[in-house]
Amino acid sequence: MSNPVIALVMLGILVSAIMIGFPVAFTLMALGVGFGYYAYFQPNQAFFDNRVFDLLTQNTFTVINNDALVSIPLFLLMGYLVERANILDNLFLSLQLALKRLPGSLAVATLATCALFATATGIVGAVVTLMGLLAYPQMMKAGYDPKIAAGVVCAGGCLGILIPPSIMLIVYAAQASISVVKLYAAALLPGFLLAGMYIAYVVILSIVKPGVAPPLPKEKSNFSRRQVVAMLFKSFVPLAALILSVLGAIMFGLATPTEAAAVGAFGGFVLAMLYRSLTWPRFKESVYLTARTSAMVCWLFVGSATFASVFAYLGGEGIIKEYVLGMDLNPITFLLMSQFIIFLLGWPLEWTEIIIIFVPIFLPLLPHFQIDPILFGVLVALNLQTAFLSPPMAMSAYYLKGVAPRSLQLTQIFRGCMPFLYIVLLSMVLVYVWPQIALWLPNVIYGK
Amino acid sequence: MMNRFIYGIDQLSKTVGHAFSWCIVILTLGTVYEVFVRYLLNDPTSWAFDMSYIMYGAVFYMAGAYTLSRGGHVRADMFFRLLQPRTQAIVELVLYVLFFFPGILALIHSGSLFGWDSARIFESSVNSPAGVPIWPVKMMIPFGAGLIALQGLAEMLRCIVCIRDGEWPSRLHDVEELEKQIIAEAAAKRAREDGGAAV
Repeated sequence: MSNPVIALVMLGILVSAIMIGFPVAFTLMALGVGFGYYAYFQPNQAFFDNRVFDLLTQNTFTVINNDALVSIPLFLLMGYLVERANILDNLFLSLQLALKRLPGSLAVATLATCALFATATGIVGAVVTLMGLLAYPQMMKAGYDPKIAAGVVCAGGCLGILIPPSIMLIVYAAQASISVVKLYAAALLPGFLLAGMYIAYVVILSIVKPGVAPPLPKEKSNFSRRQVVAMLFKSFVPLAALILSVLGAIMFGLATPTEAAAVGAFGGFVLAMLYRSLTWPRFKESVYLTARTSAMVCWLFVGSATFASVFAYLGGEGIIKEYVLGMDLNPITFLLMSQFIIFLLGWPLEWTEIIIIFVPIFLPLLPHFQIDPILFGVLVALNLQTAFLSPPMAMSAYYLKGVAPRSLQLTQIFRGCMPFLYIVLLSMVLVYVWPQIALWLPNVIYGK
Repeated sequence: MMNRFIYGIDQLSKTVGHAFSWCIVILTLGTVYEVFVRYLLNDPTSWAFDMSYIMYGAVFYMAGAYTLSRGGHVRADMFFRLLQPRTQAIVELVLYVLFFFPGILALIHSGSLFGWDSARIFESSVNSPAGVPIWPVKMMIPFGAGLIALQGLAEMLRCIVCIRDGEWPSRLHDVEELEKQIIAEAAAKRAREDGGAAV
């Protein structure tokens, strides 16, 4: 067997081990070491002098020298603190009151709450379960179709991994060696576009088919306009200000992502204190959970760096490139093919595995097809929204199922997610046809 | 006996993980301080940059075993969850031998050399005149990897217990992600309601 073929065998074993369900980080590391030992083998060398051992340690150490990755624990801490700040009830209520004139107002308020809260926390699970308890029963009471109500909660909850400051974008930027700052700027408008399209869909639906998303009964509201504004200032404004100041500081170059994230985490702490919801046990919880999630991401990076260097050394990257270029694709078909593969991978896998293992396979091919890695990143980020919504491993749907009344079937949730899945695909088409949606903002701020 | 050994290792990973988690708070406060003195007092610190990656490294090296003990390392369990517990345990046991120990043992070996080379000369950072020592974080690579290997051993023993008993041994109590807490509460509430209806 030639070396490139062995590299493909290595990739094949990796994919099988992942599909069987072994923790990915260690699989990557073990395969990297095993095949690396073969790749760097020299006959007259002592067992432990093989270069693969140095490679592994070097990779373990360089992960911490990546400035973008240092911001991950800080953004996570901000998220876990905001998650525990007891802000959601008030946020939902005030947005609901503020938006009550709109058709489908309850669903719109749910989407807006999800989008804002998920953006601040960057975590999918919590917002879906919290809103599943808070918003879903209210929509049921208002006579909504369960499918629509479920779809709104699931789709809204996923927006947090797309709209910056999102951890997924940091991980992508680290893998593609591009600037996190530019990627954040690029993902901002597409993120708003997608959220806007969700809201537009719900509004239009409730006008066309009032039966599935009926308007609220026109009872006399208990809240005056002034009270509503005051409530918005207590819940919506502080959270929006926190996100905007973190993002603004990053995008206008006032602070590095790490610094902005640290200030954001501190802001999350202050916010939770102001809402008087931060107890010592909750604070400890946030810190421990942050450590766990950070360690998970970092060990994944150690494994993937080791695997990738051995894979490239054996010529695996070359053979894939040769093969894809041999297919004589044009940029559009390449893009369609790569995004379709990522879409399919989203069924069984989570975004971490996709971005850390599979996206790097496509990245070296981008220059040949003259595709901007930033644009590609935005498309991947949009695409991975579907990973949470598409069966059989739709995390969002399972989270909602876990808290919803038993009458809500999993199939109903999936069917409710379908329209939102189509909207994601539509948004990808829009971004592809008008790349300026993504690239305009970074170009304006940073020049070409 | 076996259970006591498993729980002992779990407890060790958890204690170390919890202790080093607090590096994140140091990282946050240190960075906020740096931002404050740099922008408001125009007097940047010389240690903030080194501090940031050292704290980050300390968390990630030393919390790896803790994450493993909570099943926190990402895995695609779509097929795995369909299996009987005993089959799961057999599959997992084999996978631990094949895909866990080669990598982590190699890291213990090469990490020790790497850490020792640095610790022997009390290596400090060259990024700034502050001379922040970086040998401790380098030494944490072999220690963290060793802890992960120990936790991996505990996980293998769990598989053996499961093969023997036909069900997975329980884990120590610890904080869980909010969604898991909420889903567990919702399930308990439903169970209570069902119980009430039956009576």
